[in-house]
Amino acid sequence: MGSTETESGSEDFSEGRAIEAPRFSCALGGALGTALGIYGTVPILHSGAGCGIGQLFGQLYAGGQNAGGPQGGTSTPCSSLVEHHVVFGGEEKLKDLIKASVELMEGDLFTVITGCVPSLIGDDVSAVVRPFKEEHDIVHVKTSGFTGNSYEGYELFFEAIINDLLKPAEKIQQKTVNIFGIVPYQHVFWKGDAKVIKDLLARIGIKAQVFLTEFDGIAQLKNIPAAEYNIVLSTWNGHRVVELLKEKFGTPYLSFPSVPIGPKKTGEFLRTVAKTFNISDDIVEPLIEEEERRVYRFIEYGGDAHMLVRPHPFFAVVADSGTAIGITRFLVNELGYLPDVVQISDEPPEEVRGEITRHLTQGLETPVKPDVIFETDSHLIRQNLKNRPFLFLYASSLEAPTALEEFGACPVTVSFPTMNRLILNRTYAGFDGGLTLFEETVSTFVGPL
Amino acid sequence: MVYKTREEADNELYEKKIDLSQDTCPNREQRANGINIFYGKASELVDQAKSGCLKNHERGFAQSSGCTLNFYLSVRVGTIRDSATIFHAPVGCSSSALGYRELFRGVPVEMGRPANYDLHWMTTNLRDKDVVYGAGDKLKKTIYEAQRRYDPKAIFILTSCTTGIIGEDIEGAVADVQPHIDATIVPIHCEGVRSRLVQTGYDAFWHAVLKYLVKKPAKKQEDLVNVASMLSYTWQDRLEIKRLLGKVGLRANLIPEFASVEQFQQLSEAAVTAPLCPTYTDYLSRGLQQEYGVPYFMYPSPMGVANTDAWLRQIGTHTGKVDEIENLIEEEHKTWIPKLQAIRSEFDRIAAEKGNKVRVLGSLGQGRLLAQLPFFDELGLSSPAAMSQDYDNLILEDLEEVIGKVGDFDLLVNTFQAAEQSHITQQLDPDLTLSCPFQGGAYKRIKGSTRIHALRGDPHPWSAQSGYTGAIAFGNFLLQSLKSTSFQKNLKAKTKDSYREWWFKQTNPLYYMKPESI
Repeated sequence: MGSTETESGSEDFSEGRAIEAPRFSCALGGALGTALGIYGTVPILHSGAGCGIGQLFGQLYAGGQNAGGPQGGTSTPCSSLVEHHVVFGGEEKLKDLIKASVELMEGDLFTVITGCVPSLIGDDVSAVVRPFKEEHDIVHVKTSGFTGNSYEGYELFFEAIINDLLKPAEKIQQKTVNIFGIVPYQHVFWKGDAKVIKDLLARIGIKAQVFLTEFDGIAQLKNIPAAEYNIVLSTWNGHRVVELLKEKFGTPYLSFPSVPIGPKKTGEFLRTVAKTFNISDDIVEPLIEEEERRVYRFIEYGGDAHMLVRPHPFFAVVADSGTAIGITRFLVNELGYLPDVVQISDEPPEEVRGEITRHLTQGLETPVKPDVIFETDSHLIRQNLKNRPFLFLYASSLEAPTALEEFGACPVTVSFPTMNRLILNRTYAGFDGGLTLFEETVSTFVGPL
Repeated sequence: MVYKTREEADNELYEKKIDLSQDTCPNREQRANGINIFYGKASELVDQAKSGCLKNHERGFAQSSGCTLNFYLSVRVGTIRDSATIFHAPVGCSSSALGYRELFRGVPVEMGRPANYDLHWMTTNLRDKDVVYGAGDKLKKTIYEAQRRYDPKAIFILTSCTTGIIGEDIEGAVADVQPHIDATIVPIHCEGVRSRLVQTGYDAFWHAVLKYLVKKPAKKQEDLVNVASMLSYTWQDRLEIKRLLGKVGLRANLIPEFASVEQFQQLSEAAVTAPLCPTYTDYLSRGLQQEYGVPYFMYPSPMGVANTDAWLRQIGTHTGKVDEIENLIEEEHKTWIPKLQAIRSEFDRIAAEKGNKVRVLGSLGQGRLLAQLPFFDELGLSSPAAMSQDYDNLILEDLEEVIGKVGDFDLLVNTFQAAEQSHITQQLDPDLTLSCPFQGGAYKRIKGSTRIHALRGDPHPWSAQSGYTGAIAFGNFLLQSLKSTSFQKNLKAKTKDSYREWWFKQTNPLYYMKPESI
């Protein structure tokens, strides 16, 4: 190792600095992940041949060891551009590929996602895509690898859907909402998160279009303008999408800093939504009461292990902003854990960093305030974890293998990249999600008492 | 073109000289007339290759399959200990390497994994402004930063489509920085768009290793055997190779995965370079011979008992250990041949029950193609067809030899084209298909389905595949697979296919091949 004693944070805050193992892929990766998260969507990559397989490893496997499904991985159509196309253009090749893809691939919505090469050589992709619109639902997501990271790809995907596919609704459907801000694969519990949010809202009479993992996801996409409200579950992911929808279709939106984790936040979430929709307390309060009673009764089962072995420990977090906020607030305000340091690894825009810090430091039921560091460089993240009192590390699988020997902490993998666990329907969202996080935490240390 | 003599043909078949004065290697297309699309009899392919009329074609429909950077180099170079890797690329080109810290951690220290090591890679994270204004300074800054942070012995630079297209002067940056830092900088030209053949990436890597990293031999190490491995070789395979060579007083220099920089520097001192995959190792083997007189052989790989015998004999010849190797083989056979026979008689029993041999569809790279078919023959399996990622003339003679040994077979050449692979799996309907995730949903079927190979981080003896222990473990593994069908059957019944029905009703897996050659 070189000299490290002076490193306590990143020296270069500029966008686009060199980084060790950043915790996201590129905009193409994010758009591809989002397309694959909405069933029936066939992504068509207009890129070099390695982009899709690279994202299979670096976006999908890294997002909870998930395969790509029938349209993902090496099943994703790709124009596989090489030097010849750099010289002569890739438009003909793309035209052939779209023609063959709509003929061969099972699917209802085709999304042409562009990589670095066509952006550099100036292919007119929209012109190639346009004629196919007569017979197919097809959009062009204008990404490239150097446009930005996976989170940018999520925004660009929905912007393409809104601009290329959506028409104003004939009638607004009361108590129907769209859910944004859950970024497939980057938010590694995305599948479970989407389902929990949908089910929670259903219980207070609201129909949530969550798109992700829904077999009628494409119908939901087309129905976006008919929603009465948009709900965004992030301090920044999906915000451009809801702003655009407000501008285009006049849909108002509600914003929450994260997916709610555990009874307190979930209750708050339901009350806020209910108030917005004028849903009676008679519906919401008994529901919250019933759920809280059940969940806290279950937490009692873990009470002995918790109190006897690891009560009020310090913990550290390395995660995207939403996961970090949700987990930190649950651990502090429900389990009595003490926040030591929280590193935000998703590179949120400067203008929301203050807000993120507030969610991590204010309204905590402890005088302890965590250090909040915005860092995605894996080397610096590990430097920032040294010589601290935390006993639990809620981070990615980059930290997990050496967490115990390097930091003396039990690792729980909760953020991207997550390669050491398969995540299917697991989630920390909602009332029961708190139980799951408690269960996983205690299971890292518990043994014969 | 038709050649008059075999010798003339041989000389035309591939470029034998390696020119280290160049920044990088020629592409496999130029060096050995490589292609990645063909379907027909293997003998036909051989005839076309020999007469010089084997041509590559565009696909009207293609699926994402890999480039010279991704995924081979991107997931492998960063595993070299005491080095740092810099991806000079936008951020997505390196995301496949995010497993670097975990990869070998699952191998217990008791099994020979060093307890203390750290791996490092950085991305220059190219953005819009870098594309417009150039990123030479950013690369230089990143090299300095890697030196400062990690104090590595070598810094590998992996290039990308973007740096290729915007015309980054990599060599210029390296020349500026090298005098000021301790680490040896090793620039590798693996711009994704440079070649249609992923194997060009291997050659580009070895070119850079030969040019920048291999040192002039200080001494000859007569007991050192270079073995370049693939990511499909497990920790057990490494142990088996070390065990066998160790028994006759030889040491394996296993590269590149998880090797130290010093292991690369001393490649020139070895007695011989032995293959695990011939065409992966080819460029390195040839270069080491040309530059430092290290002999090599290309065939076979140590997969199956007979192949392992032959592999060891070749090594014996080059290390003056002919007798010791014969004794080793005899001794090993006492242990393993009865086990092989037990597996074989079980496959024979299954064959007798169903009236014909168990039909297997497998292969992956060219090397596996050459080694696997004779191994399956040895186990009493039949392989009416095989798949290969690509074909080039480097394996022409060896392929002929395999056809001579096991008979002719259908050969589908494609690089992870999932639709084509699903198609021939359905058409041929083998008893067992050896699948890889890169064949999409081809594993969903009524009959047998298992993985084609284990991966490098897998330390369990059950997953061994190489040498004698691997031959037996893999034979048993295949037997086991024939007793399991519920997973693939359920998924076939209960999930949707990727393709519309008509695809499987027509007979040509290369339905979308363009007629004109490229």
